[in-house]
Amino acid sequence: MSPLLACSGLTMRFGGLTALDALDISVGKGETIGLVGPNGSGKTTFFNVLTGLYKPSAGAVQLEAQDLFARSAQEIGRAGVARTFQRSRLMLDQTVFDNIALGALGRLDLSLLSALVLRGRFRRQLSELVERATALTRRFNPQIAANLFKPAGSFTMIDRRRIEICRALVGAPRLLLLDEPSAGMTHEETRALMDDLLAFREEMPDLAIVLVEHEMDVIRRISDRCIVLNFGKKIFEGPFDALIADREVQTAYLGGAQ
Amino acid sequence: MSMADLAPSLPADTARTGGLARLAVAATVALLFAGGGFLLHAEQQGQVIALLAAFVAVFALAEKVPVGRRIVGLCRAHPGTVNLTAALSILAIAAALREEHYTLLMMATVALFATAAAGLTLQMAFAGVPNFAGAAFFAVGAYVAALLGHTGIPHLLVLLIAGLAAAVLGLVLLLPVLRTRGHYAALVTIAFGLLLRAFLEVNDVLGGPQGMKVKSFSLFGLDFSRVTEIGPYDVSFYLPYALASCALFALAFFLVRRLETSFVGVALDAVRSDEVAASVFGLSIARWKATAFLLGNAMIGVAGALYGMMNGFVNPNSANFGDSLIMLSILVLGGLGNLWGAVVAAVVILVIPEKLQAIQEFRLIIFALLVIAILRFRPSGLMPRAVRDFSALVKGGSR
Repeated sequence: MSPLLACSGLTMRFGGLTALDALDISVGKGETIGLVGPNGSGKTTFFNVLTGLYKPSAGAVQLEAQDLFARSAQEIGRAGVARTFQRSRLMLDQTVFDNIALGALGRLDLSLLSALVLRGRFRRQLSELVERATALTRRFNPQIAANLFKPAGSFTMIDRRRIEICRALVGAPRLLLLDEPSAGMTHEETRALMDDLLAFREEMPDLAIVLVEHEMDVIRRISDRCIVLNFGKKIFEGPFDALIADREVQTAYLGGAQ
Repeated sequence: MSMADLAPSLPADTARTGGLARLAVAATVALLFAGGGFLLHAEQQGQVIALLAAFVAVFALAEKVPVGRRIVGLCRAHPGTVNLTAALSILAIAAALREEHYTLLMMATVALFATAAAGLTLQMAFAGVPNFAGAAFFAVGAYVAALLGHTGIPHLLVLLIAGLAAAVLGLVLLLPVLRTRGHYAALVTIAFGLLLRAFLEVNDVLGGPQGMKVKSFSLFGLDFSRVTEIGPYDVSFYLPYALASCALFALAFFLVRRLETSFVGVALDAVRSDEVAASVFGLSIARWKATAFLLGNAMIGVAGALYGMMNGFVNPNSANFGDSLIMLSILVLGGLGNLWGAVVAAVVILVIPEKLQAIQEFRLIIFALLVIAILRFRPSGLMPRAVRDFSALVKGGSR
């Protein structure tokens, strides 16, 4: 079966620095990949290239039949790639609903005519979206669903992370990129978030997830396959147990003293 | 667990929308407008100072006292009542002051500057595109009115053309504004304003430094400058201007509010708050900034055209940087994104200095102190923008 996402020879250079070095990464439908590596190894750069924030220098990116190499962020977003960010990028003074709606705007009617005059269509889409956002947030935390029209900034860190994940999910993406969902959270919170995500996973069996994470516990629980980056190169690919035992990975993480 | 943070927000009892709540809202709004009307009319320094004191007290109470906060919450929950009461109050003020030339002129000026502020709201408060050339686009509208006013084109159409012209001229700026950000984009617009003014000064076709005469506005054959009575009442010829200006503001208000409470509003807010997140989720930053910039300039141009027709002349000085700053001050002082705030701020900025004429140069000191005090105690403006709450639309919707 051909993979959902296929990157080959993906390279990203910033001047003299090669941040991604001829990466071959493929993700199957419904697969969860744990992407690990020391700081600066290129994990977030990989996400930024995949989502069109950086233009890659060379290589190929294919999402099923669609060529996404060096496409704009807008095109890639509309093709069904959604993500969260390592540092939260919620609009804190706007409501939870506004934040989640952003994840679906690419597919909604944004014409001035229906905003100003023909409001029927807008209202239908609005009602649908409110229902969808309510159902989605309720799964993660009923308190969010009950306060959909409160500012996102009035929620705790873990709820904000949940809102960000809901925003990425509301547009029914094919590929979800999660950038360190556990950053800044306690172990318990991380575990709760992962439980939610796993439960959600069961209902969307086709959704592929790539997860960047330092928390090995999270990687172990959630990923089908792991990929390790170091200095922009893929140094390991395989199941979690093999990763733990891998000599080169240990050296990359702990330093190569012996 | 997260509920504690959520507590102090809008009142939860909006379900109990009794007539009593609406009555309280209507009374509050009517009272505020009555105060505004008295301020417009006041001639003695004592009255002006007393009204200013009352004004400061009202805004302090609205924040500090529970009842005040409750009333503010109710007003936010009943926008329909607020707008209706406001419209009726404005009509009542216009009727009461129907013979006062100067007062009506000021009323029209406030409404037209508030209309321009509505355009700036789209640009700056929603899309985050700075525009330090508001007065320049305002003047463009007035010049179009001067050029086309006597050609026999219906004046409503002239207003529309003036708006289009301002938007088209804004196209010149569009590329540099889209390619720059923040202070740099602001500088681009400042440069444009200066350039336009210099161009108008040396251009003989447009009257050079003397400027041009503008024919007075006429609507369906009714020349506003010749109106001296309506029915049995003697009226100032500024009365129709004041009413038309208020109608124009109402239209701008309607358009801006509609955009704000639609997916377009969500898109604009996202583009302003976080360009990275907005583009990752499929929004075109350029499209939305351009839309807001062009629409905003069109609104400013229309307001400028009517202003020129009311004054009867336009000269390059109308495009000065100071006036652009006045428009911006109205926006910031009122609270970015809240159009009623812009009206209140327009009164503060345009009317109060006039009313303090008698104390001569001290008036500017008092005015400056007032502005500083407002921003010291209400850093996000007199009436900060409320969060967008779609729930009313969904409940009353097509489900």
